[in-house]
Amino acid sequence: MSAPRVKPPRSRGSDPISGSALAHQPETLAAFLKLYGTLWSRGVLDQSTKELARIRNARTVDCTICKSIRFEGARKEGLSEALVDQIRDGFEASELSARQKAVLRWTDTFLSGAAEPDAAQRREMLAFFTPAELVELTAGLALFMGFSKIAVSLGGMPESLPVMVQPTPDLPPGA
Amino acid sequence: MLRPMSWLPEAGPGRDDFERTFALRPELFAAWREFAGLFWQKRLVDPVLLELCRLRIAQMNGAAHPLSLRTPEARAAGLDEAKIARLDAWWKQPGFSDLERACLRFAEQFVVDAKGMSDEEARPVVAALGDAGAVAFIEALAIFDGFSRFCRMLDVEPVEAPA
Repeated sequence: MSAPRVKPPRSRGSDPISGSALAHQPETLAAFLKLYGTLWSRGVLDQSTKELARIRNARTVDCTICKSIRFEGARKEGLSEALVDQIRDGFEASELSARQKAVLRWTDTFLSGAAEPDAAQRREMLAFFTPAELVELTAGLALFMGFSKIAVSLGGMPESLPVMVQPTPDLPPGA
Repeated sequence: MLRPMSWLPEAGPGRDDFERTFALRPELFAAWREFAGLFWQKRLVDPVLLELCRLRIAQMNGAAHPLSLRTPEARAAGLDEAKIARLDAWWKQPGFSDLERACLRFAEQFVVDAKGMSDEEARPVVAALGDAGAVAFIEALAIFDGFSRFCRMLDVEPVEAPA
């Protein structure tokens, strides 16, 4: 493990987010947890679709913590570890559904930094998702990518971690 | 539902294409505004530094909407259009401080390959901003990077003229 560039403060939470260096900014941390809880538990898009995109991002950005986490809600919706294993390069030849593959292609376009999606990809996404679902998925990707990049930028990341099933983020008490 | 300028066939209410697009998920948009606004309202990082990085990231991601915006806090703090015009080649342009250069270098690495960030790139930023300032700075970069890509993916139109 490399040395962390910013060490977590002494006063911090116990979960992977609030127990991190993000606790140096309690106000932004609270606002982020409200935003993340809204995304996951007050959404219009099913959790397993968001989890597919989150895990694909985690593997591309190579965030050890993000890669190790599984959210309970997506598990309950049927996103098994056997399916998660197929979220890899070469997923086009996997047994994932056409809808799931479209989500992974959308994620890859988002992460690539290349040109915007072409007309065919837009049509494909609109065939599977409502505009509101598509906005939620794309905003989710922005948060997944952004916060996995924060985690790796702060340093101190272990080389590997076991898979950890975590409660699906929800609104913090009082939010 | 209103018709947006983005390629999505629906939109919600809003003053510009970004707001009309994000308004399709109103609760999420409200929570996003609360979070993203903190960096400016609470002045967690110098607004000129933040605005330079926000615009540079929008340039790198080819995102027209965030490029067309100007943050009032940065303008009030003295950032002018002449300096913004030099931003796309900041490394060979005059008028950028050592800290601005260190932060722009960090921001570019964050966009291209955050995992590849070196201690040499991170050290001057953390040393100058302190632990809490560095965390706020990196969180802001995450929002700038993520949501300029959001704009690119959904083809969110720029505002007509810099506000």
